[in-house]
Amino acid sequence: MRNLTGLLFAGGLGFMLLAIASGLDFGAPPMLVGGAIQSAAPQETGATNLVTSVVLGYRGIDTLGELSILFAAAAAAGLVLGRRHTTAGTLTEGGFVLKHGGAMLFPLLMTIGFYIIFHGHLTPGGGFQGGVILAAAFFLPLLARPGARLHHGMLSVIEGFAGSSFILIGLAALSEGEAFLQPMLVQDTLGQLVSAGTLPLLYLAVGLKVGAELAGLLSHLAQTESEV
Amino acid sequence: MSDLIVLPLVLPLFGAFLLPIVMRTSISIGAWIGPAILAYGCWILGDQWMSGTALPFSLAIGGFAPPMGINLYIDSLALLFAFAVQLLGLLFWPFKIDQETARRQALMLLLVAASTGLALSGDLFNLYVFYELVAVATFGLIAASGSSAAYASTIRYLILSGIGSVLTLLGIALIYSQTGTLNLAHLAQLAPEQLNNKLGLTAFLTILIGVGVKAELFPVNTWAPEVYATAASRVSAFLAGLVSKLALLIILRLLVLIFHQPEAVQVMLVLGILGVITGELAAWRAKDVRRMLAFSSIGQLGMIFIALAIPEQGGLLAVLALTFHHLLIKSGLFMLADGWGGAIEKLRGAAKRSPLAAAIFVLFSLSLIGMPPLPGFWAKFTLITQLAAQTSPLYLIGLTVFLLATVIEAAYLFRLAALLYGPAAEDTPIDTIPKPAGLSLATASLFGIGLLAAALFIAPVGDLLNHVAGQAANADLYINTVLAGTGGSQ
Repeated sequence: MRNLTGLLFAGGLGFMLLAIASGLDFGAPPMLVGGAIQSAAPQETGATNLVTSVVLGYRGIDTLGELSILFAAAAAAGLVLGRRHTTAGTLTEGGFVLKHGGAMLFPLLMTIGFYIIFHGHLTPGGGFQGGVILAAAFFLPLLARPGARLHHGMLSVIEGFAGSSFILIGLAALSEGEAFLQPMLVQDTLGQLVSAGTLPLLYLAVGLKVGAELAGLLSHLAQTESEV
Repeated sequence: MSDLIVLPLVLPLFGAFLLPIVMRTSISIGAWIGPAILAYGCWILGDQWMSGTALPFSLAIGGFAPPMGINLYIDSLALLFAFAVQLLGLLFWPFKIDQETARRQALMLLLVAASTGLALSGDLFNLYVFYELVAVATFGLIAASGSSAAYASTIRYLILSGIGSVLTLLGIALIYSQTGTLNLAHLAQLAPEQLNNKLGLTAFLTILIGVGVKAELFPVNTWAPEVYATAASRVSAFLAGLVSKLALLIILRLLVLIFHQPEAVQVMLVLGILGVITGELAAWRAKDVRRMLAFSSIGQLGMIFIALAIPEQGGLLAVLALTFHHLLIKSGLFMLADGWGGAIEKLRGAAKRSPLAAAIFVLFSLSLIGMPPLPGFWAKFTLITQLAAQTSPLYLIGLTVFLLATVIEAAYLFRLAALLYGPAAEDTPIDTIPKPAGLSLATASLFGIGLLAAALFIAPVGDLLNHVAGQAANADLYINTVLAGTGGSQ
């Protein structure tokens, strides 16, 4: 009976979605605000990557909200994981190739991660993407050597300071008499590495926070599994 | 001065990020960060209210004028809600010190920040971001009570809430695909031409159901009883008292600004009526105090949805009166339930154990039922007169259900009151009857005092709410304030 109602609901929802989709005009999005941003963004924010100018400039507070959601999810997971100690997980050491491959990839991944973060205002990429790569760099050795531990204190310090510096940059603009999160120091340097004012700094904060957050969460998961 | 209004939204986030670091070095310093930030937030918002700056005004974040950037819209309704968020955050602050303190307090700060954002934001997608943040922070806070029942209810809530979020996002995507903007004021300008059709109505319905998960709307409220029965009372109080009302605020803004179709209102009326019937009947049958309160809260929110279906200033006045009344009462009742959790039968004779708690319960019950001269009477009276003035038969059904629900409400609340004041069961010594802890009782008394104060000053409170409702019902004012007002770097 329950399955039947579920099926009916799913079918109805699917039918509704199809009916809606048939009425939509695909391929011709209304570029009302989008078009305006496209034409004004490079002058207003100094970033050649339009996505960045939207993510950190026009909708900066959304990004702050997204960061907070990630933080809340990690904190909530920590609350739940901190109490439960499953005994699962047999600690098999990784093989030679995995161990040394992991160690060799670590600096490469770090370089790529930071490259993507620092060029977020110029090319596709940015803090979120680069941060995930940073976290992967830390997690690879952890997979290869299940016994290894990450320094949790260090990670949470990086994470906390990165998150708060995002807000501090925003508040700095406020104390200068401008609006909260207003991009400062916009100069006539469009397209150079040092350009776009505070946006690269914001992206660095985002990248460090996301990286530390994910690395901490993953190692937390790994540890919960290995604890007896 | 008005620039500072962003601080109550941002500082709790700042505190939440830093709290784990500070707690690592000194718990005694860290324990003061949260309350200090919330107190400062109260002061800023209170100061804004007192300073008599012309309301409403709009604040562009990042200095990008709406609709390009995101703006905060501050009218007296938003200010009132934001102040209530900070104040209740302070009252329901999780003081308990143990090894999870940092995480719990950080989540509470995030919840307060997100709720403030819900009250102030003037951008549809920004509202969605804060709505998600509220959801995620709530999952953690509910699970923090640590019992396996709490985990189970969190999972249920998580799934339902996830479905709601997807539906909301679908609605927002539909709106964006039709208009190309997300700013509420800009949408309000475009809506009569571009959203006054079937697609617009679908978008409203998906958002209504999606946001309705938090507002305890009829078919998507099954999480509420379990969550409120298993989470810490302070969390339940904050959720039932405030977060549900913030979800209502989103729907209210959408109705006033964007969706004027009669069908939208009718759907809400029907769902509200069903919510009242199911909620009150379930509360009548409930055997557990907190479940009873949860079901009664579903019924109460159903009543608010009925009121919301009258899209005029009068209807809005009824919405606000019911909302703030329920906010006071339910928060207080959940604080009482802090010590009174569990089966109703166990409370036999509890009035002798804690006379003050029983007296406060009776006070809240009387106001909830609508006994003059308590504020509950005026709130319900406003709704009844508004409903009776409508011509459509659906509103009269709403009126009938509303009156019947009041009878049921009286039945189950008085049944509990009779138990409280009845003789204790013979085999239980009086010391074993549960009683609310001191701090919870003190908090509940504060809400009781607030209720009595509102009863004494009912005329100014009514005028104030009427003024707030008038401002909130004025869509043109919203559009002009945001789009013509303080753009640029203000």
